[in-house]
Amino acid sequence: MSTRAVSIGEWLSSRRVAPYLFVAPIIVFGLAFFVGPLLFAAFVSLTDWDGLGHPRWVGLGNYLYLAVTDRFFLKSILNTFYFAFGSVAVGVPAALVTAAIIARSKYQAFWRTVYWLPMVTNIVAIAYIWKFVLADTNGLVNRALGVVGLPEPNWLTSPSISMLSVILVAAWMSLGHNILLFLTGLNNVDQSYYEAAEIDGANAVQLFRHVTIPLLMPTILFVLITSFIAALSSFALMLILTEGGPVRSTTVTGLYLYDMAFTDLRLGRASAAAYVLSAIILTISLVQLRLFRRGGVEAH
Amino acid sequence: MAWLLRRAKGLALFVAAAASAAGPARTQMPITIKVATHYNAKQSAPLLACFSQYEASHPGVRIVHQQVSYRDFLQTTLISRLGGSPVDIYNLYSIWAPQLIGMRALDLPPPDIERFVRSSYKQSTVAAASIGGRLYGIPSAVSVYQLAFNRRLLTAAGVAEPPRTWSELERTAAAITRKNRGGNIVVGGYAYGQSVANVTHVFYAQMYAAGVAPYTPDLRGTNLRSPVAVGILQRQAELFRKGITSNSIQTRDFTGGAVGMTVIANWQKDMLRAAFGPRFEETVGIAPIPTDGPGGTMIYSFFWGVDAASRVKRQAWELLRWLNTARTPGGLSCTGAMLAGMGDLTGNTQDLSAMADRIADPFSRHFLAALNAPGAASQANVWHADEVDRLLKYYIEMAWAGRMSSAAALAEADSEIQAILKEQP
Repeated sequence: MSTRAVSIGEWLSSRRVAPYLFVAPIIVFGLAFFVGPLLFAAFVSLTDWDGLGHPRWVGLGNYLYLAVTDRFFLKSILNTFYFAFGSVAVGVPAALVTAAIIARSKYQAFWRTVYWLPMVTNIVAIAYIWKFVLADTNGLVNRALGVVGLPEPNWLTSPSISMLSVILVAAWMSLGHNILLFLTGLNNVDQSYYEAAEIDGANAVQLFRHVTIPLLMPTILFVLITSFIAALSSFALMLILTEGGPVRSTTVTGLYLYDMAFTDLRLGRASAAAYVLSAIILTISLVQLRLFRRGGVEAH
Repeated sequence: MAWLLRRAKGLALFVAAAASAAGPARTQMPITIKVATHYNAKQSAPLLACFSQYEASHPGVRIVHQQVSYRDFLQTTLISRLGGSPVDIYNLYSIWAPQLIGMRALDLPPPDIERFVRSSYKQSTVAAASIGGRLYGIPSAVSVYQLAFNRRLLTAAGVAEPPRTWSELERTAAAITRKNRGGNIVVGGYAYGQSVANVTHVFYAQMYAAGVAPYTPDLRGTNLRSPVAVGILQRQAELFRKGITSNSIQTRDFTGGAVGMTVIANWQKDMLRAAFGPRFEETVGIAPIPTDGPGGTMIYSFFWGVDAASRVKRQAWELLRWLNTARTPGGLSCTGAMLAGMGDLTGNTQDLSAMADRIADPFSRHFLAALNAPGAASQANVWHADEVDRLLKYYIEMAWAGRMSSAAALAEADSEIQAILKEQP
């Protein structure tokens, strides 16, 4: 009996089995919460299912519907890209410049805390506050613009600029996170580079352009990639700030498929839309990672 | 053999007698009836008091009230079914019914309940609780759309009477509208909103007022391409194009005195009374939906339904009958008491009589008259109505924003809606 127990113990601790035992929890977790749902969603995307009855097999019908019949799906993808490019184009440079200024401050910890605050604030609260701030007639921003005699835009109610408003709020929200990443990168830059450049007569702008940015390139690329991917899949801010309006001008694909799944109970079509969005994000991520390797880290 | 048959017959009779004797005892078994409504604690207080009364007079019956947000009502209740713990009684918006019936989630009322409903409720509300001619529950709240106007703003603009036609509305609204230096409307002559109720329902109400129903009688087609529908949308869009209204000013601003006219439903009475206080009656006026057609409006209704998977269906229907029957001679039912507290209307004729003094004020009188007018029609319980209404809202807004012509917007809406309607069994 004991011989058998020892042999099982030996077998379990053998090089052939033990590594798999150690990684088993993460594999089970991954299968249950990542691979399983992915495969299930793939199956659901090929059916017509309201989440309650029996799924009805429709093959590629949902994908065909999104491509041909649904006139808004493509527009929602364009909205998603507009938001993603916009929030990265506004948010990342703003974070970089702010981080560079904070890096020279004696009160770095204080400023880090101040800029990090939006990150610990609930997105619902943030959206409601910005709703008041950007209100057309009584909002703080328009009141201030009115006082100095400037035009008062309809930040959240005009289809032409509502997405821009959402982008500005999203950039403000992510500022703290990106500043923290840039500060970590900036603090790791060897000060001797700056000293050498200053001896050569470089001014503050030249230092930033020719020393800070090149040495910070891996961090910049990392922030660009992660911010872009996060922006492609975000929808909560639009859901609360504008509810996707006006005229669906701020309805991104994430929000569109959320409504499809949980308001219209069209889980099959929503899963197909989610797969299309995932395929787009995956493709862009792969391209960015390639750029990251070739033009980013390795080049610097 | 005959002896054996006699014995078997005797045994069967004994079993039947024993079962019937056990019947009343079975009703005494402790049961829980779960009731889901979208009413908050303050609104449902009269109903909850009735639940306590019912529990006291029916030992062994426990009633649990679940408040579910209106926006998530259908989804939450359906998911609770999926989880194996369905709610027993729902207070449903009538347009959710086709989907629920498609899933066989609603129980058909027993014959005595059906007789009670058909004899005690107005026909229009019975129709709202019916799908394909079959009744699925007991009507409860009924709302109807009318034009609300701010008397003070109309008087200040030199207008004595509310508009009766859309041309009059446009002129009156233009006279009221005021903008600030930045070009934003601070006082709107007329206002819409961003919700389906403020956009799609208003459009439907105008269609009914013009004498054309938005959907065909079989609910498998639309009349959105009709010249009447296109004309209505064109004139709505004109208000935006001419700067008489905009997205900056909305129906909800009516309570702040910043809107001259808007279309609202009667259930907003309580909110308006709270907002205007003692000046409510001298400020808020109600008039029919302005139209060049025969006149009319849209009614939308809620009804009580029982889940087909409920284990206490019989007791649930019994409770519903009790809740919808007057508690004292000439008095209100429990549902009636709750609705009266909110300023809501009902299709229950006895409740309407009992509410007479509460709905004698000009505000309610106008809504009641609209409800009883021949042009008032129940909202069509079309397939995937929520989705259809949101879709139509998008195309209406496209026309308002000047991004599509009214005809093109409604043609697009029609094609997409037809695709949804074709899915129904």
